[in-house]
Amino acid sequence: MSRGTGRTLFWAVSLFLCLAGFLISLLTGPVRTTAGDLARLFQEPDPVLWAVIVDLRLSRAVLAFLVGGALALSGAILQGYFRNPMADPFVVGVSSGASLGAVVATALGFEAAAVGFSGPGLLAFFSGLSIVSLVYALSLRRGGFKVETLLLTGIAAGALASALTSFFLFMRSDSYEQAVFWLLGSFQIAEWSQVATIAPWFLVCLLASVWLARDMDLLALGDETAQALGSPVRRVRKAFLAMSALLAALAVAVSGIIGFVGLVVPHWVRILIGPGHRPLFLASALAGGTFLLYCDLLARNLLPAELPIGVITAAVGAPFFLYLLHKKR
Amino acid sequence: MRRTAPLPALLVVAVIAAALPAASQVIPDDLGRPFPLPPATPERIVSMAPNITEILFALGLGGRIVGVTRFCDWPPEAKAIPKIGGLVDANVEIVRSLDPDLVIAFRGNPLRLVERVRKLGLPVFVLDIGEGLETLGPLIERIGRVTRSESRAAGLVSAMRTRLAAVDTAMRGARSRPKVFVLLYGQGLWTCGGESYVDDLIARAGGANAAAAMPKKWVLYKRERIIKDDPDVVFILARSPGDFAFGRDRLARMPGMERVAAVRTGRVYELDENAASRFGPRLIEVLERAASLLHPELFGGRT
Repeated sequence: MSRGTGRTLFWAVSLFLCLAGFLISLLTGPVRTTAGDLARLFQEPDPVLWAVIVDLRLSRAVLAFLVGGALALSGAILQGYFRNPMADPFVVGVSSGASLGAVVATALGFEAAAVGFSGPGLLAFFSGLSIVSLVYALSLRRGGFKVETLLLTGIAAGALASALTSFFLFMRSDSYEQAVFWLLGSFQIAEWSQVATIAPWFLVCLLASVWLARDMDLLALGDETAQALGSPVRRVRKAFLAMSALLAALAVAVSGIIGFVGLVVPHWVRILIGPGHRPLFLASALAGGTFLLYCDLLARNLLPAELPIGVITAAVGAPFFLYLLHKKR
Repeated sequence: MRRTAPLPALLVVAVIAAALPAASQVIPDDLGRPFPLPPATPERIVSMAPNITEILFALGLGGRIVGVTRFCDWPPEAKAIPKIGGLVDANVEIVRSLDPDLVIAFRGNPLRLVERVRKLGLPVFVLDIGEGLETLGPLIERIGRVTRSESRAAGLVSAMRTRLAAVDTAMRGARSRPKVFVLLYGQGLWTCGGESYVDDLIARAGGANAAAAMPKKWVLYKRERIIKDDPDVVFILARSPGDFAFGRDRLARMPGMERVAAVRTGRVYELDENAASRFGPRLIEVLERAASLLHPELFGGRT
């Protein structure tokens, strides 16, 4: 099979799975609904049916898709940025940093909104960005990254951020549910306003990353080579680092920490469609969204009570991470 | 001309105010949000907490409850009502599908979840827990107001106050104030701190809560603290006599515990966890039992 047909097949299958995922999301839940209900939705609007399918299930599915897309895109960017297939917003510590920011903002009552961002969202972005910059600075050795240093620094920084997050959460006595939300992620309270918050930023980052994809391809050759070939390396690096942090912060601000999506998805996608960053970014966003859509379906339907979605993604992602480590040997 | 203008304006306001039925009354809920009172008793009520369910039943509204949590098991009839999920994981979709005309939430329901339900356009009334038994009255009265069952609520509250007053009167004769350790049945030595209503309950029952100085509702206690406190009485909140016996034996077997007065003299008693852990009307029964156990001399040995 040539690369060309492989790609066409990938896109066709991804799009099909994505649409099917949305359809299943709309039809499954504790309230019984049928395909007929979906058709009736527009002919004879019933307020209860509308609320259940459009306000609750559709908003939740769209949010899960956007968060999955954002996490996978963030992962694809970080993997290119660190020239390392094991980078991911969770592993590098951005997600934990972002959740720390969000929790601190909530604890301090810093809830005001600015530029379409809530206080927690804004602080999530800045603390996510600081963590990734810190990890970057600590693991940089003579213009290159040592994989082990990068991963260990990221994991240590992430663990520290998680510990601080837990500290802030447990200072308040009635915070068990909050702790589960921030540390394991959930779409339980998804709503359209959250979709409206993250959708524009997600699109901006997606377009910008596709726009800068060629420069990312050049970075793979090494910073000096890329510079020699005319890429403004420093600026490109800054832009990508900011985007990866922004995407992770967006995801965390609306749904808490959801690990491993950014690790697993770009990896699969690269195997299927090759390393060129332009298609890789687009395809990661689509596949990541679809992946998280199905994870959320499991999270809300597997047991009578909801599972935190981070449990599902970790169950899929952590073994995958181990497999990658093993393969590298 | 200008000077006379306010008078007609005031008249208009007065006429409108008089013409509006009681339906337009607005009271704040415990989050401080305005809640317009319904014109009549709601027909389809969702209760998001066990104590709310219990109070609704006590107000004779059991037949109008369409959804409860899976923890709502009192009165027994509540078990037959459709479940919306748990306290922290109530399912918004199920709540919406029940099409309620009143949702009553309680502290313990996550605020974000309550907000999500409210944003679907459902009338949500949120109530907070009080620190003492005297706040039970206002809680019931407020539920009475939003369900337009004011007179039943008033009756319930006054009956409750009479029983509270009876205990208070009896306690005036108390000559001692035994030190009490309350153990929540389960793992670890969880007890009730000074901010808990159980602390107030123990004080009203003529005891002194060992953990009263802890500025919290629930506290994980240390074994050595119990030994140092040396409580005269231990109450174990247990779900069944079996649980109680197990909890009592576990406590007694802990090293150093044999020196504690309550264990030595066998004054380790069971309190019904189901009633005591809910901020509802049955707390009065728990209070009466605790009082008679702490001061049998005042209750004619009625233990």
